[in-house]
Amino acid sequence: MPEPIIAFERVSKVYPGTEGPVTALHDISLAIGQGEFVSLIGPSGCGKSTLMRLIGDLEQPTGGTLHVKNKTPHQARLDRDYGIVFQAPVLYEWRSVRKNVELPLEIMGFPAEQRRERAMALLRLVGLADWGESFPWQLSGGMQQRVSIARALSFNPSIVLMDEPFGALDEITRERMQDELLNIWSAAERQTTVIFVTHSIPEAVFLSDQVVVMSPRPGRVKRVVPIDLPRPRRFETRESPRFFELVTEVREGLREG
Amino acid sequence: MADDALLPADRRSGTEAAAAHPRSSPLRRAVPVLCVVAVLLLIWEGGKLLFAIPDQKLPHVGDVVAILFSRTQGGRGPLLLVQLLANAWATFQVAFGGFMIGGLLGFCLALLFSRWGLLERGLMPYVIASQTVPILAIAPMVVVGLGRMGAPDWTAKVVVAAYLTFFPVTIGTLRGLRAATPQALDLMRSYAATPAQVFWKLRGPVALPYVFTALKVAATASVIGAIVAELPAGAQQGIGVMVLNAAQFYNSRPPALYAAIGAAALVGLAFYALVAFAEWLVLGRRGDARHA
Repeated sequence: MPEPIIAFERVSKVYPGTEGPVTALHDISLAIGQGEFVSLIGPSGCGKSTLMRLIGDLEQPTGGTLHVKNKTPHQARLDRDYGIVFQAPVLYEWRSVRKNVELPLEIMGFPAEQRRERAMALLRLVGLADWGESFPWQLSGGMQQRVSIARALSFNPSIVLMDEPFGALDEITRERMQDELLNIWSAAERQTTVIFVTHSIPEAVFLSDQVVVMSPRPGRVKRVVPIDLPRPRRFETRESPRFFELVTEVREGLREG
Repeated sequence: MADDALLPADRRSGTEAAAAHPRSSPLRRAVPVLCVVAVLLLIWEGGKLLFAIPDQKLPHVGDVVAILFSRTQGGRGPLLLVQLLANAWATFQVAFGGFMIGGLLGFCLALLFSRWGLLERGLMPYVIASQTVPILAIAPMVVVGLGRMGAPDWTAKVVVAAYLTFFPVTIGTLRGLRAATPQALDLMRSYAATPAQVFWKLRGPVALPYVFTALKVAATASVIGAIVAELPAGAQQGIGVMVLNAAQFYNSRPPALYAAIGAAALVGLAFYALVAFAEWLVLGRRGDARHA
């Protein structure tokens, strides 16, 4: 495995609750290599989103150590190592599509010319080149989520965190978005590390190099399933026998314990 | 990659959307207003006829309009309409001054409260209490107090108008400054944005529609404040003075009171329209204006 870019060592997260502390994550040890596509899967309450938020320094662990690029997650955030995509597109309604993609670049102080260029390049990449001057409400849910992905990639972060990004889309749009996501990721030479939270087993298997299977109460890593399906993955991949074997393996991992 | 399957069912380009939501012409928008005017006239005159209300209690609409074009001061003065408008203008100026001061104060309070929760918990009870005290009790105190200090007549009126203005602005702006969703804030956090950037690029733009809603409420409140402050002052001008005078001489000229009240309402309407226009200037061209 390549040099880990994200390393969890016995990490735990405990929330103070009204009826005593709640353990959201218990004793997580996990290593993620650079350029890997890793899915976190498990039922609601297994802490998969929390795990992602710990990486992104949106929350802090209460025990253990977590390193990102040999730094603290806090330092990595200040270094702008993270692009984030949520389940909702979270576009700023008063900004045009292009201006939404430019938002992180504005904050990071890129000059206007460069912002525009990068935003247009990314909109082309996600197939929305003609929609730059439209406003979010004029776009369908799938299109809005593609804008959100373009925005997350606009400043070339080394790690992209995706929290059920296709969870609100219909099945047909969803599979198409999965194909597109892999195309986009490949276009960047698969240098970007992707942490992908999902509760869809086929989605996790289709996209990932590793699937981290988690269980709830308290959130633990039960199994890490390596996905050895050849890349590039296409439509046929979803119908190959190996795909079904791996889906079965993940499903059994979810059921046990 | 832009596949038809991924386009919205009704792919709305700018022009098509505009066609679906036509900007109604001023004429078209006037229709409902005129209809309501017609209905009100019908109720007024119909009720008068039906219940045999004497002119002394409820004059004819025509008489109210007619008196606007009669000369004041026993035929030597200007038209009543001119006099009313001049006084309305005086009140408008006072209300505007109070609105600006109160609005600024309300806005600053909201900024402070949103930044320091402790300050909000400490001061908010007094802010709320200030509004539960009847303005009719406060106004004479302010007028007399400032008068003793030798301040010019208009200062007390502006202060009372500001007193009624700041509250809705504080509440509305505070609500707006807190309206950004946790996820939108998480995004800003992930970009390592500075607090100033979060304000200018997220909290501010999100708050603006709330601020304008508050300003609309404040606009009419400031007019009420200005009018109420005219009553105890023995003030020389203002639409409140006109209402008071007309009330005193009601027995000899009933329609004059209705005319004065109408003019007072007009001040509030004009102010509201002004704020609505400012809102349109600021928000109307924003991409999400449709939702505002």
